[in-house]
Amino acid sequence: MIYLFIVLYGLTLVYFGLSERVSRFVYLLSAQGLILFALVFESLHETQLIELILILIETIVVKAILIPWFLNRLRKRNHLKRLHESFLPVFYNVIIIVFIWVLSFVLGNNLNFEELHTPFFSAALASVTCGIYFIIIHKNVFSHLTGYLIIENGVFLLSLSVGSKFPHFVSLAVLLDVLMGVLVLGLFLNKVRDTFQDISVQSLSKLKD
Amino acid sequence: MIILYFFILSVILGVLVLVLPSKKMNIMAGIFYVIAHISLSFFAHHHMDLTDSVYFKFDHISVLLNALLSLLIIPTFYHSKLYLQRHIRDVKRESQYIAAMIMLFTAISGVYFSEYLVILWVCIEMTTLLVGFLVLHDRYQTPIEASWKYLFISSVGIAIAFMGILFLAAQISDREGANLSVSYLMSMASTMNPVFLKTAFILMLAGYSIKLNIFPLFAATIDAKTVAPFPVNAIISTCLVNAGFIGVYRIYSIISMSEVIFWAQKVFLITGLISLIIAAVQLFRVKRFKRMFAFSSMEHMALILIALSVGKVGYYAAILHLVFHTLVKSGLFYQFGQIRALYNSGWFKDTGAYIKLNPTGALAFILGLLSITAIPPSGMFVSEFLIFKALFSSGYVFVGIISLILLTVIIYIFFKNGLHLLYAEKPENYGQQKALSNKYESISQLVLFGLVIYLGYNPPAFFTDFIQLAISGIN
Repeated sequence: MIYLFIVLYGLTLVYFGLSERVSRFVYLLSAQGLILFALVFESLHETQLIELILILIETIVVKAILIPWFLNRLRKRNHLKRLHESFLPVFYNVIIIVFIWVLSFVLGNNLNFEELHTPFFSAALASVTCGIYFIIIHKNVFSHLTGYLIIENGVFLLSLSVGSKFPHFVSLAVLLDVLMGVLVLGLFLNKVRDTFQDISVQSLSKLKD
Repeated sequence: MIILYFFILSVILGVLVLVLPSKKMNIMAGIFYVIAHISLSFFAHHHMDLTDSVYFKFDHISVLLNALLSLLIIPTFYHSKLYLQRHIRDVKRESQYIAAMIMLFTAISGVYFSEYLVILWVCIEMTTLLVGFLVLHDRYQTPIEASWKYLFISSVGIAIAFMGILFLAAQISDREGANLSVSYLMSMASTMNPVFLKTAFILMLAGYSIKLNIFPLFAATIDAKTVAPFPVNAIISTCLVNAGFIGVYRIYSIISMSEVIFWAQKVFLITGLISLIIAAVQLFRVKRFKRMFAFSSMEHMALILIALSVGKVGYYAAILHLVFHTLVKSGLFYQFGQIRALYNSGWFKDTGAYIKLNPTGALAFILGLLSITAIPPSGMFVSEFLIFKALFSSGYVFVGIISLILLTVIIYIFFKNGLHLLYAEKPENYGQQKALSNKYESISQLVLFGLVIYLGYNPPAFFTDFIQLAISGIN
């Protein structure tokens, strides 16, 4: 089952490359939250109540419900529907994301560290790389926020691949990072929009001397 | 549990200032906080090498940097009062500023004293949030741009650093009594997989580079410093940079216990050189003082990394340079507050004849200029001399020569712009707005620059011993 969920997670990444509708970004992030919960639930050997509650909060409540709800509000407030501002055509985006995905798995399998759960590690690597790629190819701050969340999901997968003895520590840290990132950056996105009447990064280039 | 109490006290003070906004409350909270912070520094000094509040520890490097922060909090609050009088005339926003400053100082102290890498990371995350707010404090277009960039790139950087921590966690997760404390990781470093150590080091160096103001994530920091209020700049260009340094220093301490140390030193050397080259090139393009000072911080941090890359012979010089940079750069930013108030601008083109218009401020500025460019009698001359001595004596002749050439370029740019401020014609639009001057404003800078001269040429034994003890823990 773990492999199925990882493939599903990979499909969401490919779909990110295909999409131009902002609402689809939000649904895809929500889907990633659900997949992450399924992945954690499948990989739990001994279920402890506190651990389960933390994971539930982090994945279902925060990643699948709270953040998408907040992003949806942002989207509606800023009248964002479709973004035609990727540097590359959609077709090339898909090819590059698939290439990143394959390369991550080849690398993960070749490294084959005992300390890391290889499928999770490979998916994490792919997610972080795709998040960075997503930020690079888009020119507006909402897409940048989405890219940041893809990176954060990658970090979450990496924490799963470590299978560490410090799940509470790590979960709380990831939770803090995501909440801080989304809430604060979301609020700022509103401010950017109010001030510049635009959320394109081109309007954010007045500081250069 | 003293650090926990200190955190609680800071939160209470911050909330009180926010809930009961008044000038009197701001001053009371400021004074109370200064006393609490200085007391924490003394307490930490008297409880050296002891753990506090489970996740914190007082070691020499953290006590030294926290003492510097305690020292700078006093002039920072004083200059903040002047900044608020000049630019913000709304009590509610003044209170927000003071509350955020109190929390920022606390978060920075948290970074210094953190014994656990995750706690250190959380405190660094807190500083990001607070700096984002403080940069935005003026609420016009460019601060929003700077604040957005800083928050966004910091968040990405911090996520990268967190991945580094996870790689370290992967190495110890199956061991008995494992934890993410620096001491434990140092004791385990020699048994760790070198690939994991290298990955963790690279990720943490890259992630914390936004705080350390070096390559690769320096750009957002430079922008934030370009628009932040000058008392905030005095802290984020010094004590917050030191917080980034602590983040990197902790992972380096762990690495130094393994065979990977020589590889890490090479990474320091390359990062330092790239940062120095970028700083020198970018300085040609700058047109305002705050940006010039921001790139100067990058230059000095690059020199510190280069000093660390030499190994044991460079450690003392690196820490000494860090201390002197903290004192000098904060002084320069306090001085910039006067320049900004006098000319109502921070651009080079709007300044001139400073020596006639404000002789005391000009004297402080000249001392600051000499200090930051490491020209005698500056104490930074001594620390830079020690860095180059370490470089040449260790056989890094080419690196030494390249660095000297780049420093010459930087000195030229600093003097060109500094002399323009001092001796150029009075700008045409000068005096259109009356400056709110204060005759005591230069005292803090003269004291700080004087202290650097004193510590450089006649360092007391306890000061040098303290630095020696701070570096004794790493190989």
